Amino acid sequence: MSTTTPVRPALDGTSPHRHDPDGGRVSGGLFDPRQLLTSLPDAFRKLDPRVMAKSPVMFVVEIGSVLTTVLAATDPGDWFGWAITAWLWLTVLFANLAEAVAEGRGKAQADTLRKAKTDTEARRLADGGEERVPGTALRVGDLVVCEAGDVIPGDGDVVEGVASVDESAITGESAPVIRESGGDRCAVTGGTKVLSDRIVIKITARPGETFIDRMINLVEGAARQKTPNEIALNILLASLTIVFLLAVVTLQPFAIYAGAEQTMIVLTALLVCLIPTTIGALLSAIGIAGMDRLVQRNVLAMSGRAVEAAGDVSTLLLDKTGTITLGNRQAAEFVPVDGATEAELADAAQLSSLADETPEGRSIVVLAKEVYGLRARHEGELGHAASLTFVPFTAQTRMSGVDVDGTSVRKGAAGAVMAWVRERGGLIPADAQEKVDAISAAGGTPLLVAADGAGSPSVLGVIHLKDVVKEGMRERFDELRRMGIKTVMITGDNPLTAKAIAAEAGVDDFLAEATPEDKMALIKREQAGGKLVAMTGDGPKKAPALAPGRRRRGHETPARRPPRRPGTWSTWTPTRPSSSRSWRSANSC
Amino acid sequence: MSSELSAVLQLAALIGALALVYRPLGDYLAAVYRSGRHLRAERWIYRCVGADPDTAMRWPAYLRGVLAFSGVSVLFLYLLQRVQGGLPLSLGFSSITPAQAFNTAASFVSNTNWQSYAGEQAMGHVVQTAGLAVQNFLSAAVGIAVAIALVRGFARSRTGELGNFWADLVRTVVRVLIPLSVIAAVVLVACGAIQNFAGIHEVGQLTGGSRQLNGGAVASQEAIKEIGTNGGGFFNANSAFPFENPNAFTNLFEIFLILVIPFALTRTFGVLVGNVRQGYAILAAMGLIWLGFTALMMWTEFHHGGPALQAAGGAMEGKEQRFGVGASSIFATSTTLTSTGAVDAMHSSFTGFGGGIALLGMMLGEIAPGGVGSGLYGMLVMAVIAVFIAGLMVGRTPEYLGKKIGSREIKLAACYILVTPALALGFTAVSMVLSTPPDSILNTAGNATGHSGAHGFSEVLYAFTSGANNNGSAFAGLGANTDWYNTTIGLAMLLGRFLPMVFVLALAGSLAEQKPVPETAGTLRTEKPLFAGLLVGAVIIVTGLTYFPALALGPMAEGLS
Repeated sequence: MSTTTPVRPALDGTSPHRHDPDGGRVSGGLFDPRQLLTSLPDAFRKLDPRVMAKSPVMFVVEIGSVLTTVLAATDPGDWFGWAITAWLWLTVLFANLAEAVAEGRGKAQADTLRKAKTDTEARRLADGGEERVPGTALRVGDLVVCEAGDVIPGDGDVVEGVASVDESAITGESAPVIRESGGDRCAVTGGTKVLSDRIVIKITARPGETFIDRMINLVEGAARQKTPNEIALNILLASLTIVFLLAVVTLQPFAIYAGAEQTMIVLTALLVCLIPTTIGALLSAIGIAGMDRLVQRNVLAMSGRAVEAAGDVSTLLLDKTGTITLGNRQAAEFVPVDGATEAELADAAQLSSLADETPEGRSIVVLAKEVYGLRARHEGELGHAASLTFVPFTAQTRMSGVDVDGTSVRKGAAGAVMAWVRERGGLIPADAQEKVDAISAAGGTPLLVAADGAGSPSVLGVIHLKDVVKEGMRERFDELRRMGIKTVMITGDNPLTAKAIAAEAGVDDFLAEATPEDKMALIKREQAGGKLVAMTGDGPKKAPALAPGRRRRGHETPARRPPRRPGTWSTWTPTRPSSSRSWRSANSC
Repeated sequence: MSSELSAVLQLAALIGALALVYRPLGDYLAAVYRSGRHLRAERWIYRCVGADPDTAMRWPAYLRGVLAFSGVSVLFLYLLQRVQGGLPLSLGFSSITPAQAFNTAASFVSNTNWQSYAGEQAMGHVVQTAGLAVQNFLSAAVGIAVAIALVRGFARSRTGELGNFWADLVRTVVRVLIPLSVIAAVVLVACGAIQNFAGIHEVGQLTGGSRQLNGGAVASQEAIKEIGTNGGGFFNANSAFPFENPNAFTNLFEIFLILVIPFALTRTFGVLVGNVRQGYAILAAMGLIWLGFTALMMWTEFHHGGPALQAAGGAMEGKEQRFGVGASSIFATSTTLTSTGAVDAMHSSFTGFGGGIALLGMMLGEIAPGGVGSGLYGMLVMAVIAVFIAGLMVGRTPEYLGKKIGSREIKLAACYILVTPALALGFTAVSMVLSTPPDSILNTAGNATGHSGAHGFSEVLYAFTSGANNNGSAFAGLGANTDWYNTTIGLAMLLGRFLPMVFVLALAGSLAEQKPVPETAGTLRTEKPLFAGLLVGAVIIVTGLTYFPALALGPMAEGLS
């Protein structure tokens, strides 16, 4: 089966692939009267001055409310005093309610996440045997076994085996994904379910710090720290409050002089009108709701700071494979050489690929079927089983194929196939090399196909294998460009191929034949110009390049966890220039 | 020619003249502060005061320089006034009382030039020339130096160094203020302003009787009074007095002198940060406010109305026949929007709304175009706040001129905008509550209750607003030479001048330490008209809301009654 899942555009909320509403998520934006009601007790609990003091503006309103209440109580016949008192208390309560509703939404979402994190029993490998321990008892480095039907007990890397895993609990995507040891697809998440096969997982996260735990904390608002901009805004709001406090406090002497002394109730009401209550009241609710929304779009930000940092990103590095392209080269075209027809080529190409289980081989069969209507033949249809031999690909021969009924078909690297034809006394058509070179120049990979039926070996043509750029990438990069973000594609391909793909995808720049050192150098170069660099990719092994910037941030790690599947989770790993002063001061606040 | 048309033509001539010198003067100023060379005169001064003009200072060192220099200046000026009685050329005037001497010293060192004395009846030649006139140069130079330090904060990165205070101070005096003053003084003398060291003359008056008048180095003091946005007149009537401001041309010329450096500094700012269009945006915001206020002032003064008019039967009350309503209106808005405080008409006699416009001009914080230097740094602090608000709207960490506006920058900017309202409103409120200070409101005559009402309140509010914002103009009618007003206004002037400087220099230091953020397509374009508009909005809203209640009880109540 294919290991590539359809891409879900993470930035695009209108995508049809967006999570289904029945996936246990709480939809945002809809007004739910029940939620208001359930949040009401919380709103009252938040009247505690110790809680209110965190929001200076609303704290002033609360003090005003208490003051007017006392004043109204001393003169119970004054309806005006009572009206103002009621109005002020409503203002405070509304602010608290907004925050409580936002928190309530987060809690509901957290509850559905918690369901995924049901208490699991882990089968820990110890001293050659297996023991059953609760999932919470697992420590970093433990090895656990999971078989079909088991829930993975914690975050970890697959160290042995391949399995299909149902990750719908955290991604909302119902199609199972492949997790295998080694490579980019080794990371598994606690709470997901193994559907087939057996894998051994090495635990990489402590209990309580797993992916799901962090998500729960985030959407509940427990882990929400004030972001630097929020802190700055609070300072500005507080200073405006002081200014208006001054204006109102000094008003009384002026008014007395003017012979128009005002009651304390009127002055309090005036103060509340002047100070920026709206922003002050809704600031924390906005913060919580913002996180909530991101999670609904399958974006997991590890902190509000990470979101703000993402807003400041000026350079985005993207891994080519899996991020810009679908991840595997696919057959795009059959190019026959002189003396062969396209149908002949397609037939031979399909025949040679029937036993080829690589994604490239599969795609050749698919293309033959889609374009030339060639049905995939079963082994039984190909004549005598005795005369049927599949020749597998090896690093030495650099080609694969099939021998059937005395006819040999080979496909493989141009040089290898040409040598094979010459060896058997065949001639190479003049345009074969030309076509191979043309495909290479266009950034594709050419596969030469040749057949040898009854001693007349001949080259039939070339299969054009192409890196397929995901749909809609160009539009997305255009959008990023408009936001002032420069995109750089990183690939191990040669510069020619890289250039062709970069041009097709519409990225601003590319780094070809990239080694980790090259990546580091690129990041450092960008950071030296004061730019904020982000990386996105689907592999956990790709993040370390950004480590120098990350270490500086102490406990703050915007996005530690790699995305589960290509394109499903957007991982932002913004890094700050390492000597940035703003980080130090932000951390000290 | 109608008086409205003449006013518009004068305004057009003024704008034309300012536009003409904007580029050359701005570029010259930038060259002065960039230059690595010292003139011989400057080197001699550095040797005398023992300062090293080449050490790069971080903000605390720069601030220490500002405060130490100003502290010594206050002390010197105070002592000079206290011993006046024993000085030669004192014209027989006695020493100044301690409270008034403190007030005057604070006033001239803080570039306010609030005068609780009448020049021709209190100050001799030595105090006027060696004390007050010298401070006119030095206090202006201190303001420009601090503004340049802030500009360097924006322009420099990863250093924290803001230049050298002593070099900035001396260069401003030697290369900018003295040459400009010499030219201006010559022009003024040529047009009839006096310049001598004559003694007291007895002169007859039109209305009969006689009064005593002394001569003095008036033209030279007049020149720096306007160029340095000081405003302290040689004579009590300030620029309304013919010896200081002989005719309509000198009147327009003096307005030009008031505005020329504050406006040109925006060009200097643009050049020093490497993008002149950034300077144009600041200029646009300043110019828009100044022009708007001038138009409003002309409208309300030509339009008549208000008790002053009804009493006097014409909008000419308190205005000079030589200048008329239009020129007086331009002068009034220019002087109150620049922290100058020189007057060629009595602001107290303007219509209720006109007085309110003058008052609001000061309340904006003297930033359009503001005092020399102080206007630029005040406007830049407002720009920091405007950028911050705009930045939050687009969802990026706000940045201005490649510098991130974080919580530290906002903290300093917020402290800056808190200082003057706190001083102005606080002292006014205390003055209104106490029993004796309101007695200084003189014009209670004709009022059966002995209560001066909204106008009297405006006088007190104006006095403290003028002091805290370092303007120095006065709403006549307040007997400010009492211990209470001398002391409190003196404090308001000192705190209103030097506390903001502390925050500005700290802000400059914080900005200079930062790494620059490269500009991308997502960066807020701070050189575009949209930003200039946003800046004007931020200025009007922040100050408007702060002072609205007070304005409502003073000038607006008077204007509507």
